[in-house]
Amino acid sequence: MRVATAGSAARSTRRAHDAVGIREQMHPFAFIVSEPIKIDIWSDIACPWCYIGKRHLEAGITSLGDAAPEVEITYHSFELAPDTPVDFEGSEVDFLAKHKGLPAERVHEMLDHVTGVAANAGLDYHFDTLQHTKTLKAHELLHFAKEQGLQLELSERLFRAYFTEGRHVGRVDELISLGAEVGLDADAAREALDSGRFAAAVQADIAQAQAYGINGVPFFVIDGRYGVSGAQPSEVFAQALTQVAAEKAA
Amino acid sequence: MSEFIASAEGDAPAPTPFAMIVGDASAMVCEGDVCYIPDLPIA
Repeated sequence: MRVATAGSAARSTRRAHDAVGIREQMHPFAFIVSEPIKIDIWSDIACPWCYIGKRHLEAGITSLGDAAPEVEITYHSFELAPDTPVDFEGSEVDFLAKHKGLPAERVHEMLDHVTGVAANAGLDYHFDTLQHTKTLKAHELLHFAKEQGLQLELSERLFRAYFTEGRHVGRVDELISLGAEVGLDADAAREALDSGRFAAAVQADIAQAQAYGINGVPFFVIDGRYGVSGAQPSEVFAQALTQVAAEKAA
Repeated sequence: MSEFIASAEGDAPAPTPFAMIVGDASAMVCEGDVCYIPDLPIA
């Protein structure tokens, strides 16, 4: 699999290559360089299908083996529930049962179902410890991470923190701690969040989604020419990437 | 996280700048504070 994040692209691509053991073809007179396929993903950390969709995309790329094209992934902000408070007292079951008025038994049934789908994708969801929160600051940190060439790493870390570890991804201190784990400078990350320097970038992503008519996430735009809605099976991503790669080579 | 609603199919948007790959029409998607769940009967 060949994956890179946008922003500091050269550094990211090199790191991604190192991580997956890319063999660069060398020639005495020139490097053979192919332009990566861009994958733009609108997503929210609090979206269970977004993490599952991320895994399906990765599985689709991996399934192509040596034929997998190089890809450059950029995450874009999509805040599903802007009115969510940073701090919500109670479990996810409490939120859905009390805030939404759903029967607790029904909530358990739904969450068990999603947990099973996640498990099939290799993910370990724990809705019993999940801390429901507002994700605006997480989105800002993802933009800062993009600037630093670490967006893909932070995205994975935030998803795992939220759905698997029960970490609070709405609080600045927690976000900075999680960011530091993937290599973000803690002081710079705090400045980025405290200043709101990336708030406009978050809103620009959301506005772009609206302009595109994107109403739900995850939403994938492959090479700017194909849109894929939802956590599609890995085969769909593999087929789409194969098609785009063939079109680019033609 | 968001409310879940059982659904037999996702409500895929139709953005104009690119062609949509339909794939699995019941693929899972979240909209607003609602997440759709395919293959789960509505209570």
